[in-house]
Amino acid sequence: MTGGLSKFARALPGRMAAAVMGLALAISAAGAAAAQQTTVIGERYAPTIWVDPDGCEHWVMDDGWEGYMSPHVNRQGIPVCRRGNVCGVMNTDQLFRTDSAHISSAGRARLVNFFHQANAVSYIITGHTDSRASDQYNMGLSLRRANAVARVAAGAGARIADVRGYGERMPKASNNTAAGMAQNRRVEIICIR
Amino acid sequence: MKFLKPALVLCAASLVAGCVDNKRNKTVDRGIDSKHLSQLQAGIWIDPKGCDHWIIDDGAEGYLSQRLDKYGKPVCSGTAPPNTATGAYKSGSTVSDPI
Repeated sequence: MTGGLSKFARALPGRMAAAVMGLALAISAAGAAAAQQTTVIGERYAPTIWVDPDGCEHWVMDDGWEGYMSPHVNRQGIPVCRRGNVCGVMNTDQLFRTDSAHISSAGRARLVNFFHQANAVSYIITGHTDSRASDQYNMGLSLRRANAVARVAAGAGARIADVRGYGERMPKASNNTAAGMAQNRRVEIICIR
Repeated sequence: MKFLKPALVLCAASLVAGCVDNKRNKTVDRGIDSKHLSQLQAGIWIDPKGCDHWIIDDGAEGYLSQRLDKYGKPVCSGTAPPNTATGAYKSGSTVSDPI
């Protein structure tokens, strides 16, 4: 009995969602029909684009008295940029053994050298993996590796603005080829100037 | 005073039509410091959390927009303490702005 009940309870949200979706569709269909008749009361504010010193776009308007500005991002919240300020991409195969977040002494020396030469105000360090292993594992591994790089950077006197692990979620290349996967196994360094 | 833009004073004095109308083209600044808005010169303003924003003081108009990295996260560079503005953000306009 209880089994039957809980089964029903589990099915309920699904059915309700279906019903709500049907309703929403009906509304939007009606809305589309109504939209052809409604007049929107508003003033035309068409922006132009200003490109910031990092190379990213912003919407900008001047209505004669006031100025307005807002970042140009896509619907996922990613800024639209004409160039990036990633100043270093470290292939993690050269810094770490498989599944390890320990940097070899040669790798450490290379990183110290990189941070001495980059000469930026501060750095954002992001770790990435290929799509093998689980998403959760890759999120952890990429963060451990990014932190390892950040520790070397801090030791070299660099200011670290942020450290993040993106796992396999921000691939740079296709994970369908070995070469693509190798490109995805990386630590990216963003230089803030 | 920020709203006493010389261009506006000029317009009022000469009663030139079109100064206080609904400005149709929002992509340009007009008056003495007329230019396309892509020419704006920005500095950095550090918000109370320590994160960067582009700040532009363009005579009468002020602009502020978030500095974001390629993942859409705020850039908190640590170049200056919170609540400070740095850089040449007042250099883009010839309209004097005493404040």
